[in-house]
Amino acid sequence: MGDVAATIKIMPEGVDTDLKALAGKLESALPEGTELYGVKEEPVAFGLKALMAVVMLGDAEGGTEPVEVAFAAIDGVEGVQVVEVGRPV
Amino acid sequence: MAEKPHLNLAVIGHIDHGKSTLVGRLMYETGAIAEHVIEKYREEAKEKGKESFAFAWVMDTLKEERERGITIDIAHKRFDTNKYYFTIVDCPGHRDFVKNMITGASQADAAILVVAAPDGVMAQTKEHVFLSRTLGINQLVIAVNKMDAANYSEERYNEVKEEVSQLLGMVGFKASEIPFIPTSAFEGDNIKEASSNTPWYKGPSILDSLNALTVPDKPDTLPLRIPVQDAYTISGIGTVPVGRVETGVMKKGEKIIFMPSGAVGEVKSIEMHHEEIPEAVPGDNIGWNVRGIGKGDVRRGDVCGPASKPPTVAEEFTGQVVVLQHPSAITVGYTPVFHCHTTQTACTFMSLDKKLDPKSGQVKEENPTYIKAGDAAIITVKPTRPMVIEPVKEIPQLGRFAVRDMGMTIAAGMCMSVKEKK
Repeated sequence: MGDVAATIKIMPEGVDTDLKALAGKLESALPEGTELYGVKEEPVAFGLKALMAVVMLGDAEGGTEPVEVAFAAIDGVEGVQVVEVGRPV
Repeated sequence: MAEKPHLNLAVIGHIDHGKSTLVGRLMYETGAIAEHVIEKYREEAKEKGKESFAFAWVMDTLKEERERGITIDIAHKRFDTNKYYFTIVDCPGHRDFVKNMITGASQADAAILVVAAPDGVMAQTKEHVFLSRTLGINQLVIAVNKMDAANYSEERYNEVKEEVSQLLGMVGFKASEIPFIPTSAFEGDNIKEASSNTPWYKGPSILDSLNALTVPDKPDTLPLRIPVQDAYTISGIGTVPVGRVETGVMKKGEKIIFMPSGAVGEVKSIEMHHEEIPEAVPGDNIGWNVRGIGKGDVRRGDVCGPASKPPTVAEEFTGQVVVLQHPSAITVGYTPVFHCHTTQTACTFMSLDKKLDPKSGQVKEENPTYIKAGDAAIITVKPTRPMVIEPVKEIPQLGRFAVRDMGMTIAAGMCMSVKEKK
């Protein structure tokens, strides 16, 4: 079926949320069959920063939803939004 | 030097019809891959006597770079023609990713539909053509690909062209205005220049067709709409919603309203990437500080608009949907979750108004008792709690939705009209 790269924007609970610690929790939260490709911080506004995570998943049933649910359940996460999906070249 | 105009390009089509090879080939032909990498392989390939080996090695190099994690932006690639710069996305084939194409960040401005000549139209070819119409992608280029595997046969090309033209006609595209190009992405035929393998073909190459695309107008003359992604209270600053501007322009000092909550405030300041900006335009990811409202007045899924032209809250709305998958039949009373901009709201099917004939777009049946996978229909829907949605004809960016249930994308659709909640 091939792989899909999903770029997921993760908003923290607040300005004081420890993003490094949050980034460290992403990998272990991932559902089986998915893989964290990379993560970086991105400035948003007024001191708020988002984590941009790229997750590799199968081009198959379910899509990004299991990953969204898993990330949203992590302590310190306010919101999760998939901003892009594409098969990597 | 000013940056060239930008276009978002989607590559769509059935699995294994050569989509990723085409993306690689476009990168290769437009110099998006470092020249020394290509040169090195070209020399080796020349020694071995086959040019296409060089391209295969370039594909391997791209894969290696990915494995070494050089950049995390791997969901898209960039390449330039002399006229435009393109961000290209090779779309996933599975329908469960349709939700992401509707609620994701960048709407495609154009698409290349790849159809392998030996196979012709397949299941995902049909689905992607239907969806590109629903998603409002109005510019298409058709690559009749893998011509090398069809002996560069003009006859086969014409058969596939006819088959695809019929499919395009069904959903309202004018096939006669869409370029069809016989290609082999692997061998490089008709990608950049006319190929000697297809002397019978006199039309444009893929790159010629991409240069002939037009840049859609920025939706900055429409009313302001910013779906709220999250809202914060930041000490020393106050209430800060964050989100992406979909339409219109937001200026400092403007009086704004959040719907459905109805909270009214004034824009004190706007920041993007931690820098203050005087105004925000479509595509900007911003945080904005609002005077006069508390954090509890704004939540994810709300839409910010001008107080003089508030976002529309629907009592009910009618939508045109394409049912992608459903284990049985959909009837009145069905209440799945609608994903629209940043909101996820359960909505009840109040009536099935018309079933449409996918072959002609004409009404096939008034008030059908059920609809099922493969059907297109007009339905009336009632949100179980207040939500903002706009008719696609007025504000397309807030008029498209994906219907989800049981962990699947059941349908994709667009809002045709809204009965406003008073």
